[in-house]
Amino acid sequence: MMKDEQTTNIMTATIVARPSSLLVIGLGNPILGDDGVGWTVAERVKQQVEINPRYQICYRPVDSKVIHRHSFVEVDCVSLGGLSLMERMLGYRRVVIVDSMETGQSPAGSVRVFKLDELANPSAGHSASAHDTSLITALRTAEAMGMPIPKSVEIVAIEAKNVYDFSEELSPVVAEAVPLAVQAVMDLLKEEP
Amino acid sequence: MTQRITIDPITRLEGHGKIEIFLDKEGGVANTYFQIPELRGFERFCVGRPVEEMPLLTNRICGVCPEAHHMAAAKAADMVYHVDPPRTAKLLRELLYMAFYVTDHATHFYALGGPDFVMGPDAPVAERNILGVIHKVGLEIAGKVIQARKAGHTVVEMIGGRKVHPCTSIPGGLTKGITEEQRKEIEDMGHWAVEFGQFSLKLFNDIVLGNKAYVDLILGDIYTHHTYYMGMVDENNKINFYDGKVRVVDPDGKEFVKYAPKDYAEHIAEHVEPWTYLKFPYLKKVGWKGFADGKDSGVYCATPLSRVNAADGMATPRAQEEYERFFTTLGGKPVHQRLATHWARLVELLYAAERWVELATDPEITSPNFHTIPTETPTEGVGIVEAPRGTLTHHYTTDERGVLTKVNLIVGTTNNYAPISMSINKAARGLIQKGTVVTEPTLNMIEMAFRAYDPCFGCATHSLPGKMPLEVIIRDADGNTVDVLKQFC
Repeated sequence: MMKDEQTTNIMTATIVARPSSLLVIGLGNPILGDDGVGWTVAERVKQQVEINPRYQICYRPVDSKVIHRHSFVEVDCVSLGGLSLMERMLGYRRVVIVDSMETGQSPAGSVRVFKLDELANPSAGHSASAHDTSLITALRTAEAMGMPIPKSVEIVAIEAKNVYDFSEELSPVVAEAVPLAVQAVMDLLKEEP
Repeated sequence: MTQRITIDPITRLEGHGKIEIFLDKEGGVANTYFQIPELRGFERFCVGRPVEEMPLLTNRICGVCPEAHHMAAAKAADMVYHVDPPRTAKLLRELLYMAFYVTDHATHFYALGGPDFVMGPDAPVAERNILGVIHKVGLEIAGKVIQARKAGHTVVEMIGGRKVHPCTSIPGGLTKGITEEQRKEIEDMGHWAVEFGQFSLKLFNDIVLGNKAYVDLILGDIYTHHTYYMGMVDENNKINFYDGKVRVVDPDGKEFVKYAPKDYAEHIAEHVEPWTYLKFPYLKKVGWKGFADGKDSGVYCATPLSRVNAADGMATPRAQEEYERFFTTLGGKPVHQRLATHWARLVELLYAAERWVELATDPEITSPNFHTIPTETPTEGVGIVEAPRGTLTHHYTTDERGVLTKVNLIVGTTNNYAPISMSINKAARGLIQKGTVVTEPTLNMIEMAFRAYDPCFGCATHSLPGKMPLEVIIRDADGNTVDVLKQFC
């Protein structure tokens, strides 16, 4: 099986134009309590992706005797929003965002998976962002300009408890949800062809 | 019957704020409150850490202007270690900062402030954003904004080591310099940024100043306040964003004080109100006299408008021309009309672009002498820069090992908390009178009063908004809901 998978990946390498076609973004502020949960989840996803041959492309350049390995799933942690976040996503076919959420409607630690389109677009309303525009409007702007926006943006969101006190620690109930959120991201990645 | 109108939230993506408007029995405005939740525990979080971590830590305070916090923290850490960075380090830091300014001011004007003017303050909400601007003015605009942002990000990454959250400033200078090849690329982008600045001012001229209704709106009384103005200046009293002394002029435009960063505590005090956790800074030597205009009130403003008022001019030629045109058109100094802040912001954008080119062509910019090793025992330091949203002060005290024992920050928007509250109050009183039916355009025009300040709620949180972005709740005196207006009904 392993051999087959690697063969497939080597073939994939010939048709993938970019080093990574799938991006997982951990979003939030790592020093603001539960707002950093997106980073924690993304870092664990990165560890799993790096050891899983399913997500590796193996190839040997014609002038080299060394087999190179490259993950086609890229994982990054950022504190961005609006236009900046859109700019980070350009060029990827698919993006999965891991973020905290504050709906106040579900218990802290709840994990939800949904598509970006399912969010109400706040920047179509009043000054939805004090300095920028919403991610949805930013993506539509890029699309209008013919820029390479991802075809799919999915979100794994974890209901937060504390995002107003500076801390590098997650609330216990949110920390307990991390493995669940990691699994949710890995399940999304499994849908890859 | 007393009614309460709540505009909540202004945003969740960049921090959460709330405006409440209380109506009197006749349906006029009784009072207004602008509340910003304070992020708690930053000082406690920092105490016990080495001061050299602050340029990295503080740029996580706020997702909007991390570069400004990086610079103020680096300058404060220089002073803590009693070390003067080499000229090349100062040039490089300022160059990074100018590229950031171009990016930040461009984003505000085109994505947030501009749509009110390009689309009109009473345009349908779904069009009053950057997409609407593109549809009306053309795709070329968006291309330029994206290009400006890309150039800014590239320079920040080259000098700062990574995009958005730079990491190369340390006590005594920087951890790396730039090559001649990078310098050339930065210079080329700077020339483009100058053209972009001129283009933006022409656009403002054509669309805003060319429309009498907008000029009347800007010059009208409801967006006007007479306060003190603050801004950092160089030795010639010209605007400088990275270094210099803080100058304050009175409502007549006369210099009230000019102080070195280390003396800030002699001049700034903070007032506390029971209805908000955030404090209101004011001029200590004038005193807090409430939310009031005039010379006797210690309320000051720290914005692009206040910077052009507080300075004698711009240090670069094209920006100076625009500076002169600004004051000639608006009837002399100082300009009190808050909506003119949008224009002042574009004058600053052009200055930042010109300064970008100046710095990129300085013969010493590629020198390998970009760091002085600190040798003194660390003690205490204050670093001040002009953040896009106002004067930013970082004050650190350490023990003899350089471990922080005390931290105090006054961030850009906090300076403006009192004037923003006053602007909202005046706009609400001007727009809502007896018998007024409160409509979405009315609320937007009230929001325009604070949007001119480009307020930042000091929050890098990006928790997803799980509810409607705007709700207007009107309640009677008993707290019963009379009416609820939602954006996406």
